Amino acid sequence: MSDLDFSVAWEYLPALLEGLWTNILLTALGFLCGGIVLGSLLAAANLSRYRVVRWPAMVFVELWRSTPLLVQAIWMHFAVPGLTGIVTSPFQSALLALVFNVAAYCSEIIRAGILGVGRGQFEAAKALGLPAFQSWRLVILPQALRLVLPPLVGTTISIFKATAILSILAINDLIRAASRVSSQTFQPVEIYTTAAVLAFAVGLLITLAGHWLERYLKRGWA
Amino acid sequence: MSFDLALLLRYWPRLLEGLWTTLAVAAVGLVVALIGGALVCAARRSPSRAFTYPAHAFIAFFRITPEVILIFWAYFCIPFLSGARVSGFWAGSLTLGLIGAAYLAEIFRAGIETVPKGQWEAARAMGLPRYPLWRCVVLPQALRFSIPPLVNYFTEFLKNTTLLAAVGVSELSLQAYLLGGQTFRYVEFLTAIALVYFAIIFPFSLLSRRLEVRHGQS
Repeated sequence: MSDLDFSVAWEYLPALLEGLWTNILLTALGFLCGGIVLGSLLAAANLSRYRVVRWPAMVFVELWRSTPLLVQAIWMHFAVPGLTGIVTSPFQSALLALVFNVAAYCSEIIRAGILGVGRGQFEAAKALGLPAFQSWRLVILPQALRLVLPPLVGTTISIFKATAILSILAINDLIRAASRVSSQTFQPVEIYTTAAVLAFAVGLLITLAGHWLERYLKRGWA
Repeated sequence: MSFDLALLLRYWPRLLEGLWTTLAVAAVGLVVALIGGALVCAARRSPSRAFTYPAHAFIAFFRITPEVILIFWAYFCIPFLSGARVSGFWAGSLTLGLIGAAYLAEIFRAGIETVPKGQWEAARAMGLPRYPLWRCVVLPQALRFSIPPLVNYFTEFLKNTTLLAAVGVSELSLQAYLLGGQTFRYVEFLTAIALVYFAIIFPFSLLSRRLEVRHGQS
């Protein structure tokens, strides 16, 4: 066993942090674009009364939930250009795969939240003579939001962990940076340990912030 | 753009080889996860802090740190630290097993804690000793509560086996990627394996949903 010298990790810390920033950026983009925007659209499509809308959304969600992200990412990057002729950069492919993956997961959470509001609320709104838009805005959505936000916030840690998988496409994330630095310096233990500690620290922050936000949201509406 | 099925027919033995590796990784990882999960759960529920604190730390560490980094660490650092040679297969599947243990420990614990207090009290009132109390009263009920989340975690676990591609284990996804590079036809191979993964994972995901619904009703 060789002596460990962590000064090399200190020296290359900026490179590792730059990679970590890519992971954080992907997490944020995945959560906002995938979880909130596309996830809500998919949930709405899934709850639609028209089969033409509902079925494609259902198939999309099941396909993206039951295949591994790694396969989705390489499929996006290598197979899609062959099918459509559109070539995307590794970062774009990785982001697209992540957004679709997160959207499929979150749409189920959002759908469950809307269904969790209960039929009686819909009926009561209708009995009061509220138009469709107002009954959604005033009655259904405020209640659904309370059910949906805590578990939605809880997915951010899974998204952060998933971004590490995207390093198989050549994007400059934490793992890419770590393997580049470790092959330059021949000190894998110091570099990978530092990378793992950095990732754990960010993951812990996300988890703690998520717990805090969940508790705050639950109390705020109780 | 045509979809060349002949290509798949020519190379299917290599894909099948990849599938076997994937299943072997899953089998090794699951055994480690089940045994490790039970042990960590026992430690987590222990009355002594000397056990609960390490169990807490183990669960938090393995649930929070991204899987790929742990696999890289095991693959590159253990040989360096110990001098032992570690193959990607063993480094990866044992790491996945430890990660699984952290998740299963929490699933088992939730299952045990769902058993109503009255059951414990009734068993004690009947004078059941510790071993029959666990074997005949608590565990059968706790396991039944644990099965839906277990099946659900199993689908996540199967997806995680692809991560071994990162350390060069030629499981299904890496085989397909390599074949794609070799033949310059990624579409066929990558679509084929996506469908294979779907065919394996989707039934389990349906099963876990059905089990959950049945539970919700009872």
